[in-house]
Amino acid sequence: MRYRLNVVEKSLRDQKWQIVGFGIAFLAMSALIVYIWPSYRTTVASIQLPEAVQALLGSDLAYSTAAGFVSAEYFSWIPILLIVYTVIQGTGAIAGEEGSGTIDLLMSQPLTRSGMVVQKTVAVCIGSALIAGFGFLGFLLSIPFVDIEITLKGAALACANMLPMALLYYAVSLWFGSVLPNRAYASGGAIALATAGYFFNTIASAVSSLSWFKYGSPFYYYGAGLPMVKGIDWSHVLLLLGVAALFVGLTVRSFARRDITIGGASNLRLRDMLGRVLG
Amino acid sequence: MAPAIELRSVFKDYGRVRALRGIDLTIESGQIFGFLGPNGAGKTTTIRILLDLIRPTSGTASVLGLDSQRESVEVRRRCGYLPGDLRMYEGMRGSAFLDLIDSFRPQKRDPQYRRELLERLELDPSMPIRALSKGNKQKMGLVQALMHRPDVLILDEPTSGLDPLVQQEVAKLLEEAVAGGRTVFFSSHVLPEVERLSHAVAIIREGTIAAVEDIARLKSRAVHVLEITFAEPPPTGLFALPGVRELHRDGNTVHIQALDGLDAAIKVIAAYHIVDLRTEQPSLEDFFLAHYSASAEEKDRDALPAERR
Repeated sequence: MRYRLNVVEKSLRDQKWQIVGFGIAFLAMSALIVYIWPSYRTTVASIQLPEAVQALLGSDLAYSTAAGFVSAEYFSWIPILLIVYTVIQGTGAIAGEEGSGTIDLLMSQPLTRSGMVVQKTVAVCIGSALIAGFGFLGFLLSIPFVDIEITLKGAALACANMLPMALLYYAVSLWFGSVLPNRAYASGGAIALATAGYFFNTIASAVSSLSWFKYGSPFYYYGAGLPMVKGIDWSHVLLLLGVAALFVGLTVRSFARRDITIGGASNLRLRDMLGRVLG
Repeated sequence: MAPAIELRSVFKDYGRVRALRGIDLTIESGQIFGFLGPNGAGKTTTIRILLDLIRPTSGTASVLGLDSQRESVEVRRRCGYLPGDLRMYEGMRGSAFLDLIDSFRPQKRDPQYRRELLERLELDPSMPIRALSKGNKQKMGLVQALMHRPDVLILDEPTSGLDPLVQQEVAKLLEEAVAGGRTVFFSSHVLPEVERLSHAVAIIREGTIAAVEDIARLKSRAVHVLEITFAEPPPTGLFALPGVRELHRDGNTVHIQALDGLDAAIKVIAAYHIVDLRTEQPSLEDFFLAHYSASAEEKDRDALPAERR
């Protein structure tokens, strides 16, 4: 069985320092936010944020509560770092290997193209879980020692809740990397979508006439720190994971049907790119 | 027994560019088969189709009777491949890289043979790949292709970047592989290399197979290019002999190309006072011009009436 997971193993080895690097940032931030809570508690207790500002915090948890504070200062923005990691991996999986030319030797091994994509996806699931886990470790090293109204279980749920959205952006960037075999183009496309997702959710929350925008944003379904208070919204998780699975499936389909390029594609015109993306 | 490699009417278009124009080729097992052609003729495209890295626009390819597309995993399990544009994971150490390649075929691991290959090619696997010279990278590529003793070795320009001594060692390794019943299919754009290494050769030109030749026969049909300097300007039409072509003359010096008319040419010049005589290594282009341009023209002529019908 071991050899069937060799691409998972290789990918994780390649990513180990990234995982550790992102992980340390997650750990440091989560612990720091919890440790500073007692000194902010009284300051923020009286704060009533205007609706528009509250909207920027990614959830409707009140900033004056511990959960609202941790949500705004950690869970509202830290997934963007996780998305940076998953987009790096997603564009690297196919477009990166084609760009560096290593894909020829990899795909000349007895390995199916779908097997390659699935193994790389498994590696990213493990890597993302480890990074989010580092974040939880920060809570584990702080919550028991601080007077804060957050449970470890709530923190664990909110950490785990980051994964579906990060994997969705992974899957989108993977697919971009397959249809535009060029890492720069694929990263550009995926980052643009992530940024749009973040702002759509924020703007939708702030401007009531645009509130329907939020349904198009993965950040809405993510919900920042809400799982600390309300538990996980499984319908949202399933929706995000479903879209992620759809894009992994589209990638497998497009990658299985096309030629493997060496050096990837470059100098694509916008029209060509749109043609490839729209199939 | 199924042939080691079989290509039938394989066409490949890249957009509007037609890279392969109907490749038909059958290679029986147990030989070293050279695939000779100038750069851009379609060698790499053909090779990558065999391993299902790219898909033909039409036609079929098979390896050991297995369809390259439908049974691609099994094809790749039984092949060792050296890419023409060899890129490895630069950050890995050689030994870790070979372990990775090994991990795809655990049932065929042969650590002793791997060590032997490394020793014979004088390659240190403890070095990171990025620190290897071009020649050493090529050796690493050869080791990963050979180390499982695959039934078919598909090597794209295997001796590129290797010094002559190493090339000899590689030739020995390939001969040993074939002696063990395996098949080697390798591409090259260098005629003498193909002559030296292989038993048979297919010549590809502009996406079609121009000829398939036995090397022994090819050698007997070698092209000789002679540069003869006479003491006096020789008479015109001196070399109007069968199998001899006068290429050009420059004062007292005449360049001739002799196919099967070498003996006749030497006998003719023996009657004159010769100041200097040089032979040139024929280039691949000379070889093609001498052997195939005439037959291609004939083919075109033959094809015309058929098209008109």
